[in-house]
Amino acid sequence: MTIRNLEIQTDVGKARSLLALLQFVSPALPVGAYSYSEGVETLVQKGKVKDLATLEYWLQQELKYGAISVEAIALLRAYTCVENDDRTGLKYWNEWLSAFRETEEIRRQSWQMGRSLTRLLIDLQPLLQPAITACEEHCNFTVAFAIAADHWQIDPQTALLGYLYSWAANLANAGVRLIPLGQTQGQQLLLNLYPVLERTATTAMNANNDSLKNCGWGLAIASMQHETLYSRLFRS
Amino acid sequence: MMNLLDASEPTGWQGNLQLEFEHRNGETILSRSLMQAPLKIQRSFYSEGKGVCHGVMLHTAGGIVGGDRLSSQILLHPNAQVCLTTAAATKVYGSDQESNQAIHVQVAENAGLEWLPQETILFDGARYRQSVRVDLEAGATWLGWDMTRLGRSARGERFLSGEWRSHLEVWQAGQLLWVDPQWLLGGSEMLLSAHGLSGCAVVGSFGFVGREVSAEFVAAVRSLLSFEENSRELPAAEMGATRLMNGFLCRYRGHSTTEARQRFIQVWDLLRKHYLGRSPCLPRVWQR
Repeated sequence: MTIRNLEIQTDVGKARSLLALLQFVSPALPVGAYSYSEGVETLVQKGKVKDLATLEYWLQQELKYGAISVEAIALLRAYTCVENDDRTGLKYWNEWLSAFRETEEIRRQSWQMGRSLTRLLIDLQPLLQPAITACEEHCNFTVAFAIAADHWQIDPQTALLGYLYSWAANLANAGVRLIPLGQTQGQQLLLNLYPVLERTATTAMNANNDSLKNCGWGLAIASMQHETLYSRLFRS
Repeated sequence: MMNLLDASEPTGWQGNLQLEFEHRNGETILSRSLMQAPLKIQRSFYSEGKGVCHGVMLHTAGGIVGGDRLSSQILLHPNAQVCLTTAAATKVYGSDQESNQAIHVQVAENAGLEWLPQETILFDGARYRQSVRVDLEAGATWLGWDMTRLGRSARGERFLSGEWRSHLEVWQAGQLLWVDPQWLLGGSEMLLSAHGLSGCAVVGSFGFVGREVSAEFVAAVRSLLSFEENSRELPAAEMGATRLMNGFLCRYRGHSTTEARQRFIQVWDLLRKHYLGRSPCLPRVWQR
């Protein structure tokens, strides 16, 4: 095989993994992400999030110090386990993520989205069955995403950025519907979040297990209160 | 397993407390204890009959300073029922050096521990880590609360520097059911943002693991948790309740350890009635 052919193959590989990334972070991925607000609905009703600036600050805090920053590290751990065919490790990190979910709603969200994605993955690629089976009854969405990312050869940092982006895009969209914000403001919000999304991914790439720490009392309480919110559009 | 204690040179207290409780002929007794200063346990008392052993732990040095390493191992043999508290608030003073406290709890079949320590007060500049690991066998229960105050807020002191880490893991029959890795960084935006502490100086958590908790119970707890909007400039205190896997969690974010304690005691009373088949019985140190 000539060097030229190898280059072409590498480019094809890169294009393939980019396409796979786009597919798995697309809002069209049938996992129902759009029905969850992760506490934003409570915050809007209580007037704590009321415009672009307050939603942006909330999401920044979550990315810097909150549960999503811990999830980012757990995603990388799960990815490494899938890569090394380490089913015991994969089961551990899946269990860890379930135990880390602070509220029943957020745990159910993670499990429901995980279940939808794993069912889809098994239909698309039956070879993924053993990794999914290792996660037993409840596969968290984060872990299911790591399984998909490894299989379609999306490198870990890119996969993580994509994961964080799809999380942010979903909550920006929840904000657009709830506050409400204009569509342009929603897009502006996402652009504004790029630096902190990059920073969260880089921090997670360099983190050890002692970095699994978070501060999110506001989110915990908002999510707990959401479970009894009087009128709800969202499931979390 | 994560090791939260690094192995650097110790310079402060190396306190250790080892306690074992056994249930014999309807009575729970402290069957073995080993104490290394400054940690101690007072003589057990039985304010609700022989079945439940009440114990009060002491820190005889008056507070934790940089470099202190405290550890406790608490073992409940089958059927033992124990309620432990502390004689006073744990004060952690400012220091360049980190201090830490590690607690390992093992609860055998059908035994239950109620872990109700008084609050931890972090003085400005305190660097403190606590790690608690709870291992439950099938049928065992653990109930625990934790209240932390940042700075002596009544004196207008704030937590401008320092760091608090609190890592809790609860396992049952080899399965991890709850992990709670908390973090607060002195002087950071997390103390003021709505996402973090919203300017509150007191946070508290109340957890229970070992029984499937009903939605009706969570609803009953929620009816205890509402607060009046206060007229002062402070943001209102808030609480929430939810279910854990095979358990229950309640969080408090506010301004007063007394308030947190009063609310947690109400939740505790309700939980005792529903899941432990016991009436409330407040430890003496809490009756003030």
